[in-house]
Order: sequence, then C-alpha cells, then structure tokens
Amino acid sequence: MNAPVGHYQYDQSDREFLAARIDEFSGQVTRRIDGSLSEDEFKPLRLMNGLYLQLHAYMLRVAIPYGTIDSQQMRMFAHIARRYDRDYGHFTTRQNIQFNWIKLEETPDILRDLAKVDMHAIQTSGNCIRNVTSDEFAGAAADEVVDPRVHAEILRQWSTLHPEFTFLPRKFKIAISGSPNDRVAARFHDIGILARSGADGRPVFRIFVGGGLGRTPIIGQEIFDAVPEERLLATLEAIVRVYNAHGRRDNIYKARIKILVQALGIDAYREAVEAELQQMDLEHYRLTPEMVDAIRARFAVPELSAPDNASQELSARRETNPEFDLWVRSNTHPHRDAGHIIAVVSLKPAGGIPGDATSAQMDRLADLADEYSFGELRITHLQNIVLGHVRQDRLYDLWQALKEVDLASANIGLIGDIVACPGLDYCALANARSIPIAQKLGARFGDATLQAEIGALRINISGCINACGHHHAGHIGLLGVDKRGEEFFQITLGGRAENGASIGTILGPALPEDDTVDAIARLVDCYLGIRQRGETFLDTLDRLGDVPFKEAAYETV
Amino acid sequence: MKRPVRVGAGEKLVLTANRLLDGRIVWRDHDGHWAARVGAAEKLDADAVSDVLEEAQARAQQDGVVGVYEVAVRDVDPPEPVTVRERIRAHGPTVHPEFSVEAGQ
Ligand code: SF4
Repeated sequence: MNAPVGHYQYDQSDREFLAARIDEFSGQVTRRIDGSLSEDEFKPLRLMNGLYLQLHAYMLRVAIPYGTIDSQQMRMFAHIARRYDRDYGHFTTRQNIQFNWIKLEETPDILRDLAKVDMHAIQTSGNCIRNVTSDEFAGAAADEVVDPRVHAEILRQWSTLHPEFTFLPRKFKIAISGSPNDRVAARFHDIGILARSGADGRPVFRIFVGGGLGRTPIIGQEIFDAVPEERLLATLEAIVRVYNAHGRRDNIYKARIKILVQALGIDAYREAVEAELQQMDLEHYRLTPEMVDAIRARFAVPELSAPDNASQELSARRETNPEFDLWVRSNTHPHRDAGHIIAVVSLKPAGGIPGDATSAQMDRLADLADEYSFGELRITHLQNIVLGHVRQDRLYDLWQALKEVDLASANIGLIGDIVACPGLDYCALANARSIPIAQKLGARFGDATLQAEIGALRINISGCINACGHHHAGHIGLLGVDKRGEEFFQITLGGRAENGASIGTILGPALPEDDTVDAIARLVDCYLGIRQRGETFLDTLDRLGDVPFKEAAYETV
Repeated sequence: MKRPVRVGAGEKLVLTANRLLDGRIVWRDHDGHWAARVGAAEKLDADAVSDVLEEAQARAQQDGVVGVYEVAVRDVDPPEPVTVRERIRAHGPTVHPEFSVEAGQ
C-alpha cells in the first residue's frame, strides 16, 4: 500500500461509501430541480453535504480532515477552482476550503471529482459533529508528545454518519492536539482534547467541554484529566449523548453544549457522563491498541534524512540574506528532527484577502509539497498552509520558489497574519464586511520589518456575532455590527486561544471602517511607545490594562 | 428569508431572490420576469408589495428562483438598495471588482 504521508489512506469500502453518498445526493439535487423537493425539504439535505446558499451563489465547503491533505488533493482543489468556480478557493478557520461561486446543478460533478482523491463535503454543515481539527504541526513539532492525527482519524470515522448524532441540538466541533502548547484552541471547542503520553506508553487524553465563541463566548472546562486511550471513544460518546439528551432544542441561541455545561455546572455534567458510562456497553466502545495501530498503519511516515551540515547551511543563508532571515524568524517552527524545519506559508499577502489562494497558487503549492515536504500540506486554523518536513538546507530554495508566486510574506503570528471570515462580501448572515478592513490593515502594516518590530500581535475579524473569524480570541478582535444598514466595528482587546485562553474585552463604542483602521494604528503606536523591553502586545496589555489603549484608540473620535 | 423591511421617505420596495440552478441574485421586473440587474427591478409601493410577493413566492419553483423577499431601495433610477447588504447583493462582492454584476459576471 502506498499510503500518503500525514493522512489516512482510503480503502475500497471508504470509496464505495462515498460513491453511494454522491449518488444519493445527486438524486436529491435532481428532485430539487424538478420541484419534487421544496427548498425547505432540500435545505437540510444540501447542508449535510456542505452546500450553502450564500449571498451571490451556492458555496461548497469541503472537509479537510485534521487539516491535512496531499499534493494530489490540493491539485484537485485547483481544478475545482478553475473548472467550477472563479479560479480561487478560500481556506477557513476550521481547516476546510470553501468555493464561493458554485452552481447547484454542477455539485454532483464536483463531488465526484473530489471523490477521485478521497475527499468529500459531508458534515461540513448541519447539526452534527463537524470536521475534527488538529494541530497544524502534528507529527513534526519538536514540542509534540503524541501525533494527534491518528486519533483525529479515529474520531472522524466514529463521528461520520453516527446514527445518534446526526441531529444534535446544534453543530458540534472537536479539536485534538498532541502538544503541551495548545495550537488548536482546545478550550474554545465543544470538546477540546489534549493528548499526552501515559505511563504504559499509550496516550492519555485531557478533555475540555463547553468552550466556544459565537454569541456567548465561553472557555471550555476540564471534564477529565486523564482518559486512557481505550476509553476515549466511550467517553466522547457519553459526553455527546448527555448533550444530545439534555441540550436545548427550543432556542437556537442556547442550543450549544456550552450553554448546557453552564446550566448544569461542570461537576454535574461530569456526573451525568459518568452515569452514562456506567450503563454503556464499554466493551463495544473499547479502543484497543490493535485498532489504533491498524489506523496508524494507513498513514505513511516520512523518512527523514538530511545531510549533517543542513543546519549550518541554513544558518549561512540567513546570515547573508536579511530578508530570508526575517522570513525564517516568523514563518518557521522547530522540527523534531535536527536537520528539518516546519515552514508556514502565509496566505496573507499585504493588502490581500486572508485565506484565499488562486488555482495557480494551489497547483504551485502542490508541486512544492512534492518537492520539499513528502507531498503533504496542512491547512491551519489561522488560514495559512504548512509544509511540515522541509530539509533545512533546502529551505532557502523553497522560500525563493514561494516568492515567485507571492506566497513569501514574512508575517506568521504578526500583525499582518490577519484572520478574517468571508463577511458581508459573501456570507448571508453577515452584518459587515470583514475582508476590506483586513485588506486595509494588512496594507497599513504590510512592511515586514515594521511587523517584526511590532512583534506577536494577532488580529481576528468576524463579520457577525457567529465569530467565524474568532474575534473573541484575537489579541485585537474586530466584530462587524450593523447600525441602521451601515457597517461598524467593535474592537476587543486581550483575547487569546493558546494556553491560558481568554476572551477579549470590548474597548469602547463601535466605529466605522476607516475610523477603526485609524484607531488600531494609534493603538499599535501607543503600544510601541509604552512597552518595556521584550514585552509583547499582550504583556503590555496585561501589565497596564486597556486604559492607555482606549485613550489612544478613541483620541480623535 | 422574510425580514421586516422599513420603508423610509423617498424609498420603494423591489423583489429579489436567488436563481435555483446557480444561486445568482435576481430582481423581479415589471413583467414578473427575474432579471440579473437591480436596474430592471420593478419598484413597488409598500402597500402593493404583499400581493406581488405572495404571487412571486407561489411561482418560485416554476420561475426557477428560491428565497423571494422584498428589499428597500432609494426611489432613483436605477434603484439603489438602502442597506450595505443589499447593495453588495445588487452589485457583487466589493473585494473582487472583476466579479461585479456590472462587469457582466
Ligand atoms: S462570522 Fe458571521 S459573517 Fe463571518 S462567516 Fe461567520 S456567519 Fe458569516
């Protein structure tokens, strides 16, 4: 078997299942077009297949399980962008891809094309367990304890078409990480899982429940500290069962698990889960080492070998090329193998649309993945692309190749690395446009040296309270609000999704777009003026509170 | 997609929907046809809209449209939607001028 690096290899039964599902949906599309299905009847069916009706057209959201794809799959995205869309796709904060200009009548053909590379759009919408997200540095990071993707795949198989969990009170999002440094925003998910090594060499899992953003942002609480691997599925099954039984279905705004956990309290929720576990057939849900190993065998492992002098070569390049050095500083992460490095390709060119990639860029990224990273690519929840296993002595060549396709912005984790949802330019639910203000901010702070000087500072923008741009978790968050049909932005400060997660607090009254950009520029200037040596924006904010920033932001308003 | 629409002074209502087959935005003209440009939309008085809306909704499947609703516009020629949302629907995403309705896309 020629398994892909980084993700699960489908077998015949997986492919037959997908083909049958596409035939079923194709029949539903035909019946919708001929009028045998009304829009009300069809809507839940199309949503379960990732198809939305947005402002200007249908939008198809394709699942990228745990954010990992191979080069063939990326080329298929490029093909879909070219053939069925307007030559681009949008990578989302849930590690998926969306195509914005889809025709209903062509959807079955698109799904058939996706199935050729073992991809689909199932459960990317609807009140079910959505695509499981994971650490973008999984299997590569030096600080990783367990590669979480094998367990993410197990969760994918468990949750896909789960008969009990197809009509939950509301959508349900799970993230899993295998590093002590939370890169998946575990505490902002319905269920967040952090894996670590157990005494017997098998992983154990720390589980958080009831986190989320949206209208009611809440930080998830720990429900179990150390669930053994063999109890993982049983435990998750019990957690979701309790939610399915007791979550509210009468009010869409109170239907997420976070509301139930708040209502019951974490201790009572835990007791309910334990009671559920007591009466479950645990043997049926037991995840044996053999089962895990069988799934693991469907993942290829990269054969890492690098020349002894790989690091020296990289250092020499950095010394002679300051521009490259700047990029390496912001856009790479230490690899567990001394001769390798993780490269993050920014999809945030100055003044560009965060997360968008053209078909030509996707094709090129696929080629570069083949050339430099075992054909594997990861989509990050911050809307960038990771090449996980790059030889250090080849990083300079990769950077040069990225420059040729305008993908070498040196801004990961910096102010130009803006996360933005599609907003009112595309989204039927939006109050305000997220992209133009992201473009203005991106252009304002585009200079790589200025960004490096400002240091770690993340801006997140959502076009409405649904918070797809995770504004509550942004160091600076912007929320689009509608004031009598016009767009305003509310600024929040101090959000963070990593370890020590917190929700940003509102700085003051919402401002129109251009005033918001100016306010943020003043706020950043204020930070540069008052920070102490070595302080990040969050450090300064934590030390002084938001008063100086508030004064700066609203100075001339 | 029904939402309360306030009609202010100097404003009228037009009907809009998405085309069933490709989701593209359309506007109902004087003859009851669905046109791609807001300029073709028939402007209706607030008290006349509910009958026309009801009829258009009843014919939606036959006409190949989905989600028919009314939109407030300024009573100028061509009519200009009052809210940012509806202006973006009428003219296309602001971040891709090449995809604007006026560019013929
Ligand atoms: S946050 Fe609101 S505007 Fe943005 S994509 Fe989500 S639903 Fe749409």
